[in-house]
Amino acid sequence: MPTPPDPTSARRIELILEQVEALPTLPAVAMRLLQITSDDESDAREVIDTVRADPSLTAKILSLCKGAAEGGVNVTTLTIDKAVVLLGFEAIRNAVLSIKVFEQFNGDEPTEEDELTRFSRPAFWRHCLATAICCELVAAAHGGQEELNPAEAFVCGLLHGIGKLALEHVLPKSYQRVIELTEQTQGNIADVERRVIGIDHHTAGKRLAEKWNLPHTLCDSMWLYESPARSLPDVPHRRLVGLVGLGEAVVRAQHIGYSGNYLVVDDIDERAEALGLEPAKVRDAAETVMEQLEQRGAALGLGETPSRELFMESIMQANAVLGRLNSRLETHRRQAARQTKAIDAIRNFHANAASSARSVGDVLSTVVASAASVLGDGQYAIIYQPTGQSNWQISRHTHEGRITANHLVEPPPQVGQLSVLARREDLPISLMGVMPWLSDYLVGFDDLRRVKLMPLPCAWGTAAVLVHDRDALPAKDQLKALTYTWGAAIGAATQHEGARRMSEQLAEANRVLTETQDTLLRNQSLARLGEMAAGAAHEMNNPLAVISGRSQLLAMQLPKATKEQQAAAQVYEQSQKLSDMITALHLFAEPPEPRYEQVGMVDVMQDAVSIVRKRNPKLPALRFNPAMGLPLLHTDRQHVAQALAELMLNAYEASPTQTVRVLAQVDPLDDRLVIKVTDDGPGMDAHTLKHAFDPFFSSKPAGRQPGLGLARAQRLIEAIDGRIELASQPGEGTTASIRLPVGKVKDEVGGSASGTAATPEANGEGRVIHADP
Amino acid sequence: MTDSGTSSELRNKQVFTTGEAAEVCQVSQQTIIRCFDAGRLQGFRVPGSRFRRIPREELVRFMKDNNIPLDRLESDKKRILVVDDDEQIVELFVDVLSRDGRFEVKTASTGYDAGMQSQQFRPDLMILDYMLPDVNGNIVCKTVRDNPAMAAMKIIIVSGVVNQDEIDDLLQAGADDFVKKPFNIERLMARINELLEIG
Repeated sequence: MPTPPDPTSARRIELILEQVEALPTLPAVAMRLLQITSDDESDAREVIDTVRADPSLTAKILSLCKGAAEGGVNVTTLTIDKAVVLLGFEAIRNAVLSIKVFEQFNGDEPTEEDELTRFSRPAFWRHCLATAICCELVAAAHGGQEELNPAEAFVCGLLHGIGKLALEHVLPKSYQRVIELTEQTQGNIADVERRVIGIDHHTAGKRLAEKWNLPHTLCDSMWLYESPARSLPDVPHRRLVGLVGLGEAVVRAQHIGYSGNYLVVDDIDERAEALGLEPAKVRDAAETVMEQLEQRGAALGLGETPSRELFMESIMQANAVLGRLNSRLETHRRQAARQTKAIDAIRNFHANAASSARSVGDVLSTVVASAASVLGDGQYAIIYQPTGQSNWQISRHTHEGRITANHLVEPPPQVGQLSVLARREDLPISLMGVMPWLSDYLVGFDDLRRVKLMPLPCAWGTAAVLVHDRDALPAKDQLKALTYTWGAAIGAATQHEGARRMSEQLAEANRVLTETQDTLLRNQSLARLGEMAAGAAHEMNNPLAVISGRSQLLAMQLPKATKEQQAAAQVYEQSQKLSDMITALHLFAEPPEPRYEQVGMVDVMQDAVSIVRKRNPKLPALRFNPAMGLPLLHTDRQHVAQALAELMLNAYEASPTQTVRVLAQVDPLDDRLVIKVTDDGPGMDAHTLKHAFDPFFSSKPAGRQPGLGLARAQRLIEAIDGRIELASQPGEGTTASIRLPVGKVKDEVGGSASGTAATPEANGEGRVIHADP
Repeated sequence: MTDSGTSSELRNKQVFTTGEAAEVCQVSQQTIIRCFDAGRLQGFRVPGSRFRRIPREELVRFMKDNNIPLDRLESDKKRILVVDDDEQIVELFVDVLSRDGRFEVKTASTGYDAGMQSQQFRPDLMILDYMLPDVNGNIVCKTVRDNPAMAAMKIIIVSGVVNQDEIDDLLQAGADDFVKKPFNIERLMARINELLEIG
């Protein structure tokens, strides 16, 4: 691109431009001609006088007129005055301009030794003149269109490539290189100019035109003639500039002269239409260019070569160009065939990739299948670094993509992130040191020396590395297309997986947050309840003490078995119940701090049974069989015993006539001791189950005693890091489970104890109690 | 004023006149004066007069030295001090304890009051409410325990607290027992008898 990337090059281009601008100015006559218009009769007179004063110029103009004018004017009788009348002032002006401009560069005659490669000025002039004629013919064919003045079109066409002359004049050595390179690459000379010199002849021509004060029409023709019609600026002479480009292309297509541009022209008609010109007229003009060229060239002193030779030369040139063109086409065809294969592979890959589930593993398989379809036989493996892992995954695949082996391995020493390590093309080099390490996982690959590592790049680096053990790889650009496609798919899947995991984690975090909030809320309300209960207990206990005390005294003093004495005894009894309830509420709200100790399940069970007996002496005898093989608990004996007692009482109340079973066992899943209390009562519905742990909640009909039993049990067990769960179905009884941590041994407890607690025997299940009614 | 009334008055006295000392010792006033003047019974004269006064401890020592029975000075009834800021609770305790007939009961409604009464009344047992308007029961407990003169005093703390940790703290402060409010009268009486070693 013409934009110079660094200041040095920018400075160099400025210097070149300065040199271009330092070219000698046009002779006074040309300069004067440019300043005047045909309307200014007196000035025109002056110019004509000036021209007449220069015999050679006069001769050239008259000979030019002879070819251009219709009706075969007799040259001998022609004067400049007549020519002006015949052709119009502008035509004369343009002719003078053309002649003078070319004379300007006439000093640079080629030397003998470098004639072969040097810029052939006659060939260039032929090209320019042919372009000029073509433009003039086309403009004339579209006669009457104001912006397409044939004379103006002629001079614009003639001077369109003057920038090349300027560059060649200023930098003869560099320009020779430009010519050579253009010849080699069969490209457009302007591209090579930009590469070699820094500016192209478009820019040079523009600068020169500005320096010489040439009209805008000319200036823009030199500058923009190769620009596509649609990109031309919206100026009045827009079509004229386009016409110059078109004329140039027509001439180039006929291989007339030397333009330096080897690109094929096959869109003359489209270009013509884009400019609002009739393609037929353009074609007509193209046909007569050659004929006109000979006449005009001679008039301008250009065409000393006989027309036949000129024609032959043109044909030979054209043939040479065609030959080169053919070979390039063949190359293109072969490339296209290979690319078709790559494109097919990519298309299939996308079809497969879209159809199956998009986990990274699936994509890796699809990639291998796709690679196998392009690269053929051999072993395939993929190195991939799963997100958030330091390890690399090396998976071996069948040609269908199925994974046959999968290793998660430590990355080789001094290599960390796969994505960073394997940056694009650098990869094979950076992975060289990895090969011996990698070979451990590539058993079965035919020849490890032939193993190719192909980085599959994605947006952030290398998504994965494809490993293949055959030499036959497609051309670099196709491989690139494939690896980028595969890499992008793996990258997308990785990101997708990451996003999915993140959303899962988010959901999990939300769930935990909700649970935590619930617990927090419950703890907060319990804390408030605790404060309230403590205060209430104190406030209520004094009046209650008076009621209780006075009623006792009364019951003692009144005559036995009287109604009054019984009433007093009742008052006392009820006050006791009320007191118990306050105590329970208080204890529920502020459970005592746990005191951890090593305790066996049997001891806990005995405690619980004695509590149950004390609370409900009507209970039938309780039997329990101590089980063997249960681990010691490190817990608060009181907490567990009381909670267990509550559960047993609850179970008994649910089914007073049935057996209440208590079983303890270690849950192998989470190493917790589970104590299950099961009854065959009526069971609970969902609503009851949900509120079973609420203080004073009762599903029982009014009159039954609601209480704190389950709520308290839950508080006690939660205080020692355990959990209570209820499972029940209406009509199927209820099972309450206490889950306690096993082997949670504090530091002060000896190691032997922890060993005992942590290693429950294999058969850690046992019936602890069997309560029969 | 009946004899028993007088005796009851005398039992609680800290300082005795010669007449009172004579009554306690069942001797004539002259004998007491003689002993006082001879220095065998230590005491002091009221400033600005010649009235003799004998502190309780000196009188007790004198009676013991001379093998005079202490019956008239020290009652066989056990002294119990009830400390609670709730008037009705105090009344309840007084009624319950009076019913028994073996106790002499005094009351206090603040920690400060309780301290004063302990000094003067020298109770054998104190029923102490934990929550008092000025200081908490455990402070009263400690104060009593720090005084060697009251080392033998038994203390039952009464409170509505239910937490075993708190109960343990109270016992730690020097209480002999804890009774939860509301209380069972029979169980309370049994505990008192036990602590005072009376049947």
